[in-house]
Amino acid sequence: MFVSDEDLMMKCRKGDIAAFELLVRRYQNPLINYIHRSIDDYHRSEDLSQETFLRVFKSASRYEPTASFRSWLYTIATNLCRNEIRNRSRRNTCFLEDLVEEGEDVYHSEIMRDTRYLPDILLEKKEQRQMIRKALAQLPENQRVALTLVTYQDLRYEEVAEIIGCSVGAIKALIHRARQKMKKLLIKAGIGEENVSEEI
Amino acid sequence: MKKYRQTEFPHIHTSECEALLVSPDELSAYIDKELPAWKRHLIRRHLKKCEVCADHVQLLQQTDRFLRHAGSVEVSDDFLSGVMARVSESALQQRQHDSLRSRVARFVETSLGWTQHLSTLMGNLRYSIRTRSPVYIFILTFAVFTMVGVTLYPPSGDKLVEKSHELELNAEKLISFEVIQPEPPKRLLTTYLQGK
Repeated sequence: MFVSDEDLMMKCRKGDIAAFELLVRRYQNPLINYIHRSIDDYHRSEDLSQETFLRVFKSASRYEPTASFRSWLYTIATNLCRNEIRNRSRRNTCFLEDLVEEGEDVYHSEIMRDTRYLPDILLEKKEQRQMIRKALAQLPENQRVALTLVTYQDLRYEEVAEIIGCSVGAIKALIHRARQKMKKLLIKAGIGEENVSEEI
Repeated sequence: MKKYRQTEFPHIHTSECEALLVSPDELSAYIDKELPAWKRHLIRRHLKKCEVCADHVQLLQQTDRFLRHAGSVEVSDDFLSGVMARVSESALQQRQHDSLRSRVARFVETSLGWTQHLSTLMGNLRYSIRTRSPVYIFILTFAVFTMVGVTLYPPSGDKLVEKSHELELNAEKLISFEVIQPEPPKRLLTTYLQGK
């Protein structure tokens, strides 16, 4: 029998750790992927996912079933990602783009083209994924969060609006602008329609 | 390799498009199935007629499909156990914290109770002193005088012993000189009549 997230959360509120474990099992994969897409660092994304779940558990007593569990979880994760990005910029963490010389195309730099140890196809796919990740990283924060939540986490516009804290109309505009910008970035990176169809 | 056409997404270009789409954002919402059914139906009909909008939607869908193939990362095997270990630890801390808090609350409650009792007692005492002060003053004075009297004129021990000895002797005398006088026998009625 399927138990909804909200019911599991209510059980967790009463101290049922098994119910919480079920929630973690349900969301560990999408959450890590969401955080990974936001901060682009696997180990940190695992740490932040753990932190997100821990925060959910600690504030379970304050949880009200009126709010969707999914949007609550992603709100916590989004805030943690924002903090992480802010801390990184304060610590002046070096991104790939920073290593590329000025004027040089990020996606065709030597770093991205280090093909020595990988078979061609794998490398091509890996490169494409990296390009997409890098293109996503170039989007303004709210656009990236909105697009990631809609595209990869399959959240409704209302839920995204709840997470970001704006109206559904604003989310529509954010997503449209994000898609337009992504398309421009992908064209710039040299990804064509054929590649897309091959992927599919 | 065929490239994306290097054009901007077309904006609303005809009066029909303008009438149908309030803003170009609507087309993104259309591919995400975020529009009401009646509007989706209208847009679908419009896309069959309007090539520019159809092209626009196709490009948006391509971008979306491509993004979905960005790949995903796998969760490490020890992730769940790590989370649950931290959660158990946190639950334990919470329980300890709660028990400590409840203990402190109980202590505070008890001490508050005692304080209340004490203050009630003190209040009663104060009231009774205020109302019955002459009686207390009399009792206190009497007690003080008695104490002073007993201290100044203590009862001597020898006199008491002598007196008790005397009493004992008197009691012995009373016992030894007691004469038991037998009662005269009652005369029977027949004897009485014979004598008459």
